[in-house]
Amino acid sequence: MGVSKVVEIPVVTAEIPIGPQHPALHEPVLLKVYADGEEVIKVEVNTGYNHRGIEKLCEKNTYYRDIFIVGRVCGICNAVHANCYVRALEYLLDTKLNNRARYLRVLAMELERIHSHMIINAVMAEIVGFDTLFMQIMLDRERVMKAKEILTGNRVLADYMIVGGVRRDIDEIKRERIRDLLLRLKPRVEYYKKVFEEDETIVKRLVGVGVLKPADITSHSLVGPVARGSGVRIDSRASDKYDAYDEIPFNVITRKEGDSWARMMVRWDETLESINMCLYVLEKLPADGNPVPDERRLPRVIPPGESYARVEAQRGELTYYVMSDGKSTNPYRVKIRTPSFNNIINSAFMYVGLSLADVPVALTSLDPCISCMERVTVIDLEKNTKYKLTLRELAGGKA
Amino acid sequence: MRRPKLVDLVIRNFVRKPATIQYPREKTPVEEDSRGVQYADLTKCTGCTLCALECPADAIKMTPIPQSYETPAKNPRKIYPLIDYTKCVFCYRCVKICPVNAYIVTSKYDIAGHTRFSSEEYSLSTLKRVSK
Repeated sequence: MGVSKVVEIPVVTAEIPIGPQHPALHEPVLLKVYADGEEVIKVEVNTGYNHRGIEKLCEKNTYYRDIFIVGRVCGICNAVHANCYVRALEYLLDTKLNNRARYLRVLAMELERIHSHMIINAVMAEIVGFDTLFMQIMLDRERVMKAKEILTGNRVLADYMIVGGVRRDIDEIKRERIRDLLLRLKPRVEYYKKVFEEDETIVKRLVGVGVLKPADITSHSLVGPVARGSGVRIDSRASDKYDAYDEIPFNVITRKEGDSWARMMVRWDETLESINMCLYVLEKLPADGNPVPDERRLPRVIPPGESYARVEAQRGELTYYVMSDGKSTNPYRVKIRTPSFNNIINSAFMYVGLSLADVPVALTSLDPCISCMERVTVIDLEKNTKYKLTLRELAGGKA
Repeated sequence: MRRPKLVDLVIRNFVRKPATIQYPREKTPVEEDSRGVQYADLTKCTGCTLCALECPADAIKMTPIPQSYETPAKNPRKIYPLIDYTKCVFCYRCVKICPVNAYIVTSKYDIAGHTRFSSEEYSLSTLKRVSK
């Protein structure tokens, strides 16, 4: 039977909001998805639901109060935020650290990387509907949280960095306990990596979803495990070699596939790499003096100048710009640029062509941290002109 | 079809005792030196207000010591730091900045409740009451 007449039915594009409150999202962001049937044809990323004015708060508080305020930008990556800010201050003050303090800083940051990567892999398991795996990973994550508690005094918020060193030292007993916890964690992480490689549920949902080509990564300035999952080898730890990263051996993990699965696998490999780095630090911890400076004797006023520090956070490159006028006890300007800011806002093109059910998977594979990226954004639509602000203008607030 | 990889683990966990801690009936174990409730020892405190100035959460308010307590001579302004634990972020900046090391640190963490919880009771317990 042949077709006598073809009737074209006009397809109405459906506009589907995913977020700001959505079961698949853990933080408030709105993905406005335009779908043709099940296929996504356009995505608009809408942010601004979690803005707290941290940068302004930093200008209104002293340099040392800010160390604790910037730690609250993001709960999961608080030590790296504090480290980046503290290093920006140290560049202004020209402070030199002893080796023990540098190693302990790396230990705190790498423990944080382990638990951050584990939680996003657990969340990914939950998003694909594999709740058993979510529970298992979260249970094993408690070990690294305990290690962090032993080192810093708190499970999540470390408050570990201070200008000129760290705030707590560790003794032999604590060192052994952290090493023991990490050695027990390592086979579990290897096991989960194997589950992510071989399990059908995971592989079917993740492989080939949200593919990013290396050219897309560089043209859209994507950073961190997202870039490394597409074979772009960028890592501030390897390129800047801040703190003790110049002495601690590690590999920069990259994968060629570029899909959601590759990003998650990069995270598992980095977790294993971080465990090895932590074990190296615990083994080779130098004993060249006291890493804990006396907080009462730190300089109240920072010399005038600008400094720019960057750090490889769990989600990518994190930068802090601090400006001091040399007179006040408060910074003149603090500018934060977090990795999620690049990764979430610039990646709307990635969702095109996916099915609706894959959108949360693709978003989770970017490791969104919405509270990190929500700060002030000023857009001038009236003049309709484009021009780039220099860092100095941005800091001074003058055009 | 292949056997799912997690089945062994799931079966093993069926016979294990639960990992969940039944808080608050059962306490979560914390380190002895984890950052919990801290308060000023008023026998050492000089009322210098440095902790109140340095607190990143503005949780510390300098408050007059009630007249029913003996005030040490080294505290001429007769004030002490009253910490509002509902605001406190437990960063221990006050502990580290104190010029006379007056702070007593504990690992007490279970302070959630219906009412505002402050260091008034703890701090004043370090002073003697004036007998009338």
